[in-house]
Amino acid sequence: MNDFVSLLPLLTICSGAILLMLVSAFDKVKLETASYISLGFFAVAFFIQLLVTSGSGTVLFETLFNGMLVSSSFTTVAGLVILACGFFTVLNTNSYFKVNTFGSLEFYAIMMFGVCGMLLLTMSQELITTFIAIEIMSLAIYILVGYDRASVTGTEAILKYLMLGAFAGAFFTMGAALVYGGVGSTKFAAIGRYLVAHPTGTPLLIGGALFIFVAFFFKIAAFPFHAWVVDVYDGAATPVTGFMATALKAAVFTVFANFLAINGNLHGSWVTFLFYIAVFTMFGGNLIAIGQNNLKRMLAASGIVHSGYLLIALVAISAESFTGSVIGYYLAAYSAGTLGMFAALSYLGGEGEKRATFDDFKGLAKVRPYSAAAITVFLLSMAGIPPTAGFMGKFYIITSAISAGEVALAVLGVVSSILSMWYYLRLIITMYFHEAVEGFETQGSILATTGTFILVVCVFAIGIYPIVI
Amino acid sequence: MFDYALSFMIFLPILAGLALLLLPIQKEGARIAGFIVSVAVLFLGIELFIGFAGTGAMEYVEKRPWIESLGISYSLGVDGISLLVLMAGSILFPMVFTLFAPRSKGYYANLLIAQGAMAGAILSTDLVLFYIFWEIMLLPIFFMIGLYGGPNRLPATIKITIYTIAGSLLMLAALVYVGVSYHNQFGQWSFDIVQLSQLNLSGGFAVLAFLMFMVAFAIKIPLFPFHTWLPDAYTEAPSATTFVLSAIMAKIGVYGVIRFVVPVFEVEFARFALALSLAGVVGMMYCGLAAIAQKDMKRMLAFSSASHMGIIALGVFCMNVQALTGALFQIAAHATSTGVLFLFLGLMEERMQTRNIEDLGGIAYRAPIFATFFAIAMLASVGLPGTSGFIGEFLIILGAIKFSGFIGFLAGTSLIIGVCYMLWMFQRVFFEKSNSRTEEFQDFKLSEALTFLPVILLILGMGIFPQPFLKRIEPTALLQIAQLTNPPHHQLADKTVLNSDQHNQKN
Repeated sequence: MNDFVSLLPLLTICSGAILLMLVSAFDKVKLETASYISLGFFAVAFFIQLLVTSGSGTVLFETLFNGMLVSSSFTTVAGLVILACGFFTVLNTNSYFKVNTFGSLEFYAIMMFGVCGMLLLTMSQELITTFIAIEIMSLAIYILVGYDRASVTGTEAILKYLMLGAFAGAFFTMGAALVYGGVGSTKFAAIGRYLVAHPTGTPLLIGGALFIFVAFFFKIAAFPFHAWVVDVYDGAATPVTGFMATALKAAVFTVFANFLAINGNLHGSWVTFLFYIAVFTMFGGNLIAIGQNNLKRMLAASGIVHSGYLLIALVAISAESFTGSVIGYYLAAYSAGTLGMFAALSYLGGEGEKRATFDDFKGLAKVRPYSAAAITVFLLSMAGIPPTAGFMGKFYIITSAISAGEVALAVLGVVSSILSMWYYLRLIITMYFHEAVEGFETQGSILATTGTFILVVCVFAIGIYPIVI
Repeated sequence: MFDYALSFMIFLPILAGLALLLLPIQKEGARIAGFIVSVAVLFLGIELFIGFAGTGAMEYVEKRPWIESLGISYSLGVDGISLLVLMAGSILFPMVFTLFAPRSKGYYANLLIAQGAMAGAILSTDLVLFYIFWEIMLLPIFFMIGLYGGPNRLPATIKITIYTIAGSLLMLAALVYVGVSYHNQFGQWSFDIVQLSQLNLSGGFAVLAFLMFMVAFAIKIPLFPFHTWLPDAYTEAPSATTFVLSAIMAKIGVYGVIRFVVPVFEVEFARFALALSLAGVVGMMYCGLAAIAQKDMKRMLAFSSASHMGIIALGVFCMNVQALTGALFQIAAHATSTGVLFLFLGLMEERMQTRNIEDLGGIAYRAPIFATFFAIAMLASVGLPGTSGFIGEFLIILGAIKFSGFIGFLAGTSLIIGVCYMLWMFQRVFFEKSNSRTEEFQDFKLSEALTFLPVILLILGMGIFPQPFLKRIEPTALLQIAQLTNPPHHQLADKTVLNSDQHNQKN
């Protein structure tokens, strides 16, 4: 019975989603009310998750769910990050729907179902559970991406994402089937035991792992499966983009790290491969980002670069002492910065996201100094300038890489972050060093503004007191 | 009260700067607030200087764990290396608030944040803490040049920022490498410089890490051939910012080499010392020659500043006590002379709206006090005996000759270049015929004269009675050189430092 406690956050969100689904049948309930309900559920789930403390690395459900799920300090942190992402996304959405009128109550319900999938994904410890969780999550995200039916770019985005996502899902099942054929089990732990007995692996296993990797790479937008990101992020509504960029990435990286860490030998034989993927992801993302004029596209591409940094941490995983703290911390730091950017864009974007390019934000600092300062903080965090969370995250990743003997990878990561300075600085320069051409008037609620402020505090707090570690 | 003096010197200005940004204050109020804060810091600095015992070890130590899983601690301290750099900063900073017409409150806030962050970089004895302040101090400079700079400020801002950040990020990788090596050798995490100096690094990665550190510091100093950002940034920045860049920030580059590179990378440092000192000398000559050719007075002073930084860097690379003491002394001397010249220039520009050397002339007849003060600072900058510049440059040249006769000869001769461009500029600007612009040049107001007077007295004082300053530098310089040249002894020296460190902690 106690073991169900760890599932409580998931159950809370799930019941919230079902409640919202039921409530949305009534005409009288306003969109505003729905957002408050979902805020409440996220807050409650977040605190439950905080209270659910479990010893690091303990497999709670070995007996109960037949080894399907795991609950460790790493999954708890990932769960917290995802729930916080959900919370702030609701704040952003609330403000966003004040000026963009395609919102409806189901939006929040679907988003919460997506969060359920993500929470399940972080804990999943077996290939079929992983697949189900990925699909729960992805289905929700597909709908959210195409939520604005009138938008051409939104339709393009959902089409691209759905088609490619379906392929990725197919790859995953194919891989899972091959692995099962080779190992005789779908549990990560069983795969690990098999690998200890057969250190070189078998063709079935290697092929299966390759397919599974492809699916993961697609979801985290790693090279060479990163091309969809820019269009999809651009086409989706701003809060949805923020949600995808943070919560989804956190969930997939968590399960990816668990998959690699538990199958120590598997990880060992893929290190070189992951090394090149990480390098190409970082530099490919940078090349795309440098050329962008649209902020959402730039952030999408910079998200690819951050996936590259997280891949560095994956390369540096050591099975013996894996706590996931580096990845967990980086996910928290990255999510705070990125969500903050999208929160600011949600209320500054205006009707129909009319302010979207770098030039649209000229002189923001002269008109709205606090918003500009907040955006600057988020950009500096993403760029990894101290004393923000992004810096500590980068510091931990470089430390873990060098500790694992991957000095070259650490240096390449640093070179990549030098390149990324350009597009982060470019927005700061646009906001501060140009004269304002408009008044940046915004309508709507102050929830996104409040969220921005809280996230600024978070960025500094996580950076100065890195207690997650 | 003075238990936390160092923390106060760092965080008082930073918090005051942030408060200025957030609170609705008029620019005149911001200026007064900034002045009060910087004077408070100055008093703390003087108190420190008087109470400084000069034992060679860290004094006023503050240490508490911060990120324990990686052995990172919030640890501060002053020794002979950091003392004069810190003092130069705290003595000179009040001036930037009193001179010049008032600008927006953001400007003063940025100045304050820069002051606090620089104090933090100087006082940190933990490598990660140092790095954090090192990065933070760039941000206010970025905003000051970008928001308040000259007509071509945008390219200059981007150039200095990308250049410096590229250097610092490389340093980040290198410092993590050092920390991880310590963990591998000693089985525990630490980024404390005293502990890190026990490291024995060797192999290709050590050379790479050394070069990464050196590139970061060479960009900040700036050492030839990493000086190309300097002329633009110095010229486009507002006068007070140029002054901060030249008088203090450049010194932190040199300071970083002495504090962090020398103790950790003894072997690599010794191996590259000749090449590095050549870079210093070439920089001196190249920037000196470039200064002769400049038409813009600020650009000329920028090159002159870079040229003098070359000789300070040379003093560090010669690896003997004379040169190192000279370099540390010259850090303060250069800040009070060349740094202050930028402030004089800022006043001239404010009065005449030009800094073209050709448009000026005959100022000495209109403004004798201004000309006298300017002349003293200028002569100190070229190293005339009796001024502060002489002591430092003399010691450095002495050390350079001891290190390598050839380098010493080159350095000695290239000092002449400095005399050439300075005196020629002085002749064209202050003597010769006055023109319609300079006819109405006003001499110092009383407040301005009083602002500069202490610094001018300091220049002369340091030149005539250098002993109080040298006495505080030398023990630490001896210790550093002992570490560098005598590895077995260096272990012993480390232990004594360590013990005194622990002793301080208990107190």
